[in-house]
Amino acid sequence: MALDGGKFLGAYRASLGISDAVVLCHVPIGCHWGGGILAGISRQQDINHVCTALHEREIVFGGESSLERSLLNVASLHPGPAIIVVSGDVPSIIGDDCEAVIRSLDLDKKIALINAPGFMGSMRDGYEDALLCLAVFMMEHDTIEKSVNLIGFCRDDFKVDADIREIKRLLSYAGIKVNCIISNCSFEEFRGAPAAELNVVVGQGKLLAEFMKKEFAIPYIEAAYPYGLEKSLTFVEKIGAALDLSGIAQNELDLESYKKIYVYLQKLNGMPVSIIGDYHSSPMAQFLEDELGFDVNVNSNFEDSSFEDHVASSNSIMIFGSSFELKIAKVLGIPLVRYVYPVFDRVSFCDAPFAGIRGAQFLTEDIVNAALMFRDDYITRA
Amino acid sequence: MRKTLCEGVFLGLFEYMNLFHHHFGIDCKLSGSVFSVSDIVGAVPLIHGPSGCAFHHRFTPWRMYAPVYNVESTNLGENDVIYGGERKLEEGIVQAYRKYHPSLIVVLPTCVSGLIGDDISGICHDLRSEINCDIVHVSSEGFSHRGRELDDGLHAMANSWTTYQSSASEEYELKGCGQEEVAKALVDQLMEEQDVKDNQVNIELNGRCRFSFKRRLEEMKRIFKEIGIGINATLLGGTVEDIKRASAACLNVVTHNRIAAKRMNERFGTGIFKKEPTHNGINGTEQFYIDVASKFGLAGEAEAAMKREKEQAIENLIKLKRFFGNYRFAMISHDWMFNPHMVRALVDDLGINLKYFCVNTHQLRRMYVPSGDDLKSLQAELEQLFSCWGLDSQIIINPNLKEIMNVAKNVDCMLSSEPAAIWHGCEITSTVVDVSSMNYLLFQTSFKGFVEFAHLLALNIKNVTIPKENHSIISRFNYDQIYYPLINDKSCSASREMWDLWKS
Repeated sequence: MALDGGKFLGAYRASLGISDAVVLCHVPIGCHWGGGILAGISRQQDINHVCTALHEREIVFGGESSLERSLLNVASLHPGPAIIVVSGDVPSIIGDDCEAVIRSLDLDKKIALINAPGFMGSMRDGYEDALLCLAVFMMEHDTIEKSVNLIGFCRDDFKVDADIREIKRLLSYAGIKVNCIISNCSFEEFRGAPAAELNVVVGQGKLLAEFMKKEFAIPYIEAAYPYGLEKSLTFVEKIGAALDLSGIAQNELDLESYKKIYVYLQKLNGMPVSIIGDYHSSPMAQFLEDELGFDVNVNSNFEDSSFEDHVASSNSIMIFGSSFELKIAKVLGIPLVRYVYPVFDRVSFCDAPFAGIRGAQFLTEDIVNAALMFRDDYITRA
Repeated sequence: MRKTLCEGVFLGLFEYMNLFHHHFGIDCKLSGSVFSVSDIVGAVPLIHGPSGCAFHHRFTPWRMYAPVYNVESTNLGENDVIYGGERKLEEGIVQAYRKYHPSLIVVLPTCVSGLIGDDISGICHDLRSEINCDIVHVSSEGFSHRGRELDDGLHAMANSWTTYQSSASEEYELKGCGQEEVAKALVDQLMEEQDVKDNQVNIELNGRCRFSFKRRLEEMKRIFKEIGIGINATLLGGTVEDIKRASAACLNVVTHNRIAAKRMNERFGTGIFKKEPTHNGINGTEQFYIDVASKFGLAGEAEAAMKREKEQAIENLIKLKRFFGNYRFAMISHDWMFNPHMVRALVDDLGINLKYFCVNTHQLRRMYVPSGDDLKSLQAELEQLFSCWGLDSQIIINPNLKEIMNVAKNVDCMLSSEPAAIWHGCEITSTVVDVSSMNYLLFQTSFKGFVEFAHLLALNIKNVTIPKENHSIISRFNYDQIYYPLINDKSCSASREMWDLWKS
């Protein structure tokens, strides 16, 4: 069953992106565990989250003293400049006044509070609200010309570091600097976000962009996640146009490397596929359809609980999704290409993006190899 | 053996990741419940709560390599929290039935549904007559947990190491255990009165999808059959029908689910046999079968069967025992508090000359046991145990890296329950063998499993080469001197310490 992660998880993921802050989850242990372990699959050296571990005692007497104790402890233990308190379902129901607790303490760290009960919205809602809450950290800065903030990322997105590196590379060829990646940056970088000339909302984070427009007079545009060759160029051109830079994208794409596997690409043209994801899914579907010539039978998002039924009743022979789509892929006996959070049975730590020009190559390679690996089961049968 | 090694290493990646994250937190009761329900063939877990709970509980720590995909959720929203989620629960049960046609739907409430007070048992009761499958509800709210203080149970457990039997106080408050809650709910709501069949046992053998489950079960079935005992059901790794007729057995053989076993005894008169910490290794496994058989007056048959099994196992171990006799060993482990008798099995059955037993108690602290007097009492029990066994191994509690290196100088081989590569960065010149991927074989009550462990251990010792200059990537990291093998990082250390503090 396709499931949305809920508002708490979205807020948690947004907060984890401030790399040198510590995220204090005001929740029972399970909520903290789930987001934490999914975030740590390809970031095992970087654990910046803790929790107040609410139990029955707190349900009865309130969790405020646990929150206070945790804040004092984490402030003394953690070296970072900020604490981000993310309060979940249980404190919202029992009525913990987290704001009052924070106000009562005189800590030498910046503290933000995000109220994000899971039942109050989707994962995306949580992400949007969290960024708005974190915006209190931002400070007025002199504008850096031809610079942009990219808003919409999460630190635990699959391939996020490599994708960011590739996007920065493409923008740098166009003379565009990246000021801050939200939410995958340091606390100081986040505070300095108002120095950008333009905000680029990539899939989510529009509420923050609107706030920054109002508060710091920074305009924003929305751009689709840059999967594929053409779409990557479009991405750069769109940003360039918004910054009054013209004729910046490469006019001719280098397709030489694709010639090396062109016979396979010919054969795979028209392949029926299904795709599910968050805001990554539509741009990915476009790449698959427009540039690889696939036939996207089912294009869905995580709020669609009937995705598996739709796939089963289609003639898709490849699925694009998260690690949770492995079951339906196995049931149908078709390959799964993992590209969207959460991915917990693959690691991504090297410079092999899926976004951008280079990313189109890596993505195409993974897709073709997934198709070739289908034959593995046949080896022992022969 | 290749399959055992593949499972231990490749599936062990996920187990190791699970263990790693226990430095920073732990999953809640709902997680254990989801896992236990997934073990029942034909059952579907229905999480009654917001979708976020079901989202990550599919990725259950107990078997991260095989997530529980068939988890349904009632997806409670704000309106449901205000007005109640009972309607959604009704719809969720009906939809789960229509989608899967399961034999059993198990309703698992979350913190939210627990707090808003939905009448879950009432809904389940009303729907039982309307859909053609069984419905059970479990007390799985995540905030429900045993206390932070050290339980009497842990003292009783330590005491049982030396008295070789469990005391009554060992059945401590288990309301924090999702697995136990599922087992108890099944006894109360699903099991049916049966005519008791002679010489039949139920075996607690969970983890149907965990590696080596089938092999363990096959050996147990074969041996019990030789003795004249049949296995009525495996709980919980069986079918719904198996669970329903579980009371046809005279005896439950249990390891963890003691409260459920007690309930079965109260409801159906089913006897209880508890597997003890001593039931490991060759002698321990022999004792297990004889002890169970004695309950049926079949001790003689068991002894005959054990004679054959033991002779075969010992014959398989003769050469290996001679091989191990050439080495002086040290052991570095965090598993000791679960079963130090495993150490005795290594010494007695494999002839391991154990000079040092280094114990890392941080694992214990991650499971809410504070430091100080409580750990001292456990340490004292361990020392007494070793003394009873006539072991002259030196026990070192929480050695730092320097102390480990000193130990390494005085032995030929170190058995570590952490990956061996990290020790190679510490100028340790003795052979280091990572037993983490094969440790699970030691905890089984199995002749074959134990022999397999011995073979794997010998293979590893023979094949390990100590590089003259260590260039492995993993050996170049700067590790935390006390909490190795965690990387030395202030932020990680702070997160780990916060988790420790929560327990104080």
